[in-house]
Amino acid sequence: MRIKIKPGKFALLATVALSYLFLYLPVVHIGLASFARNSNFPYPPKWSLDIMARLFSNSLYQTALGNSLIIGIFAALLSTALAGLATIGLMRHAGRRAPLYLALFIAPLFVAEVLLGISSLIFNGLFLGLQGNMVSAILANTVHCFSYALLIIATQLYRYDWRLDDAAMVFGASPARTFFEVTLPLIWPGLLGAFIVTFIMAFNNLEISFYLLGATPTLPSAAWGALRYGVKPELYALATCVNLIVFVLLAVMFVLMRTGLVTFGHRPERERSAV
Amino acid sequence: MKPRVAPAIFLGIPTVFLVGLFVLPLLSMLVLSVWRTENYHIIRDFSFHNYEVLATEGAYMTFLLRSLVMASAVSLICTLLAWPIAYGITLYGGRYKLLFSLAFAVPFLTGEVLRIIALQGLLGPLGLLNGVLLSLGAAPLRVIMYTNVASAIGLVYLYLPIVVTVIYLSLLNFDQRLIDAATIFGASPARAFFEVTWPLNLFGTLIGFALCFIPCLSATLAPRFLGGPNGTLYGMAMAQQFGESGTWALGAAMGVVLFAVSVLLVVGVARLIDLRRTGFTGFGRG
Repeated sequence: MRIKIKPGKFALLATVALSYLFLYLPVVHIGLASFARNSNFPYPPKWSLDIMARLFSNSLYQTALGNSLIIGIFAALLSTALAGLATIGLMRHAGRRAPLYLALFIAPLFVAEVLLGISSLIFNGLFLGLQGNMVSAILANTVHCFSYALLIIATQLYRYDWRLDDAAMVFGASPARTFFEVTLPLIWPGLLGAFIVTFIMAFNNLEISFYLLGATPTLPSAAWGALRYGVKPELYALATCVNLIVFVLLAVMFVLMRTGLVTFGHRPERERSAV
Repeated sequence: MKPRVAPAIFLGIPTVFLVGLFVLPLLSMLVLSVWRTENYHIIRDFSFHNYEVLATEGAYMTFLLRSLVMASAVSLICTLLAWPIAYGITLYGGRYKLLFSLAFAVPFLTGEVLRIIALQGLLGPLGLLNGVLLSLGAAPLRVIMYTNVASAIGLVYLYLPIVVTVIYLSLLNFDQRLIDAATIFGASPARAFFEVTWPLNLFGTLIGFALCFIPCLSATLAPRFLGGPNGTLYGMAMAQQFGESGTWALGAAMGVVLFAVSVLLVVGVARLIDLRRTGFTGFGRG
């Protein structure tokens, strides 16, 4: 075989490599900085856990972490459940009006987060007379996460064979039993993926939560507050911790998908027909 | 006949939820924008005063124009960068495609504030870039941080992952054999790209562009922490109306302007493309 240097391939791969470098350089830099005593320029790092210890003993960040976790979990649960309903509705029950519903369901993607936060603040504060509270923050985050969850679940459900449901019903299963014994066991990986992604999004959200929470701190708003007085090593440590958590969650997802413990969608029948 | 309960549950609940918590808030923003704020109180008279202020006061027009230029430039850069990246991953990713695409999601899912902190670690006065320069014995760069260039770098950093992901998904669903078909029939690689690959992935590209443009247009954090004194953008000025200045009604009017620009963009994009030409076959399989 003739060996030829392909300039096109080289340029493509170089762009990919450079973009990963661009994305990960800051992440790695602050990661090293937060575990080093010489945090401004940790090359080579003098390892120490001082900054991490300072971060974990700060009670503001502890409260903030609790609040962020609550927002993240509830917003993710709600948006996954609603998006699951909406996806099944779109595919099974919408009929000719599907484009209309789809437009409404993905509209939040095209509205900036800060606008969502501000408009919910106006609606709650002026028209409902509500003070900032966790429930409205969770609900507003759910709106934003819903569209992302819908897209994730839709890519999985797209391949789902609805005739399995019909088969169960023909053999006398009630709709509820069909859902819990046939549909849910087959689609849960999609739901789990949506849950993980929306949890991370709501957990890290600043612009929606900030306007709806008043004085209640979340992790991003505490970081925002501290950032106004300049970057401190604790903030590097905080960002590193969150990066590690996100990384671990996605790594778990990746391993599950690779090892085949979780296969997305159920499609043996389609594969056979494709041959 | 049995009443159809299922559509009411499956479509009704999400619709009610979105109308109540998404459409109504946007409408209330529209209503507030024609009221006034005086001394932190809201006065409920109908007038277009806020819009007059926005149209006549030079600063707001400057902010809006600057935001539009910034958002267009950043989205263009992101799209131009994202194409080779996504194409490279689909062509040469092999069995590690999934890993490569998930690796782009990690920075995207870390919140905006934390990513700006990371960027300050890179570009800041005491950051990596200046640290390298200092240790090489050169003078630190002062021109990058706190300028519009820093804002733009920050926005590209923030939104490149989503553009890459969208274009990557578009390319993944695109049937690569069509390129082979085109080359077999004698098209050069460039011609195959511009007549087959590009038009069939235009829809995904435009969605990626819009999903970058819209948040950039209303960016509040990047210009505040990376941009300099000449870096105020519209979204940042709007956020200030709800914070320091307390003029909610004016802020609401600015929100309406931003929303209107976003809607115009989406409608423009939707008219620009012919879905059937892009190979879109519809949602769901009925």
